Amino acid sequence: MGKKDVNVRMSLQTLKVLEVFLENPTEQLAGADVHDRCGIASGTLYPILIRLESAGWFVSKWESIDPSTAGRPRRRLYRLTSTGLRCASEVFASFNRGVLA
Amino acid sequence: MSQRNQGSTQSDYGATHWLIHQAAKRAPDLLSSRLEEEWLADLESRTTVLSRLGFALGCCWASVVILNEQPRRRVAVASSATTAKGFIVLPDRGFGYFSLRSGTLFLIAGLHAALFYGLITSLANTHHAVIPPNLQNYTIVPVPPETFTPPPTGMTAKDWTIKVKDLIRVVPREVNVEGEMTTQVEKAAEPYSPPGTGEPLAPVIKRVAGGPGAGFPDTRDFYPPPSIRAGDEGVSTVSVCVDTKGRITDPPTTANSSGFARLDEAALKLARAGTGHYRASTEDGKPVSSCYAFGVRFQLKK
Repeated sequence: MGKKDVNVRMSLQTLKVLEVFLENPTEQLAGADVHDRCGIASGTLYPILIRLESAGWFVSKWESIDPSTAGRPRRRLYRLTSTGLRCASEVFASFNRGVLA
Repeated sequence: MSQRNQGSTQSDYGATHWLIHQAAKRAPDLLSSRLEEEWLADLESRTTVLSRLGFALGCCWASVVILNEQPRRRVAVASSATTAKGFIVLPDRGFGYFSLRSGTLFLIAGLHAALFYGLITSLANTHHAVIPPNLQNYTIVPVPPETFTPPPTGMTAKDWTIKVKDLIRVVPREVNVEGEMTTQVEKAAEPYSPPGTGEPLAPVIKRVAGGPGAGFPDTRDFYPPPSIRAGDEGVSTVSVCVDTKGRITDPPTTANSSGFARLDEAALKLARAGTGHYRASTEDGKPVSSCYAFGVRFQLKK
């Protein structure tokens, strides 16, 4: 994996997305799951996911299912990287870990 | 089709898929197929028609945002179109040294600067035109009244003679059929006969020359603006002929120039405008028609 730009423009919506992933850093979530948990609309959510992925905070991969067997299309799953986990933790630490509470 | 999607109508299904397809087409080329598949998969989690339409419309907006952000980013593409290293460098669509946002900022700043420059320069010109020049009240130099003093008793004719100024002339008061004119000035100008010679003395006339009277126009109203800008100053002597009611009877003339044609012309205008506001000359207290001169001083306030 190449060198990434870890500088990400922080917004309230970005912090909400990171908070969802920080609840269980090893969990893989699709965009629909993030929407269900934080309520961010698709017009805002997907640009944030792409932005964080471009910055190296997230990695994504297709869901390992057979669509014909599952009866639904495969989803794109996002997961925090170690860099993303560290950077997100630093961001929340700078906000005293309570700004979103 | 999943169980969640069973409540959706066929038209809703087609509309939302069409919207997502169009949104994915507007996304960057290397993300288009991935986003379309991802959004269609996430669409299955929406159960109501409104939420599906909202999701599809949000994807349209997301594609625009992603398109605007992608040129300066490296994007991981894990779909079937993924490159060997998994990263694709998209071409930079910036404007040289400036981004689109910086260019817009400079454009707005430039427009404001041009606007302020225009306001400042136009206001400066207006200020220059509005400020009145420093003027000083005009000074009218009256010609001193001319009086005739009776000669002392015992003086001979060779001791003194009466001279009438060329500038002062008396309008004939009586003209007979044959054209003989008689004026008191002519009589007063006759050589004095010493007493004892048997000839009667000429009557003594006390004459007071007229001049600008009450209600006469203000010189400042007639100061030519070009002369003000040029700093022209001077005294123009104007000769007028005035009747007994203070009205000019002949066009006024310049008796002594100020040295500036514009000021002389302005003095003539002032003299014409003052008709009806002249003091008539008097002889023995009675107003008479006469011609006299007065000076009009044009002077800028220092």
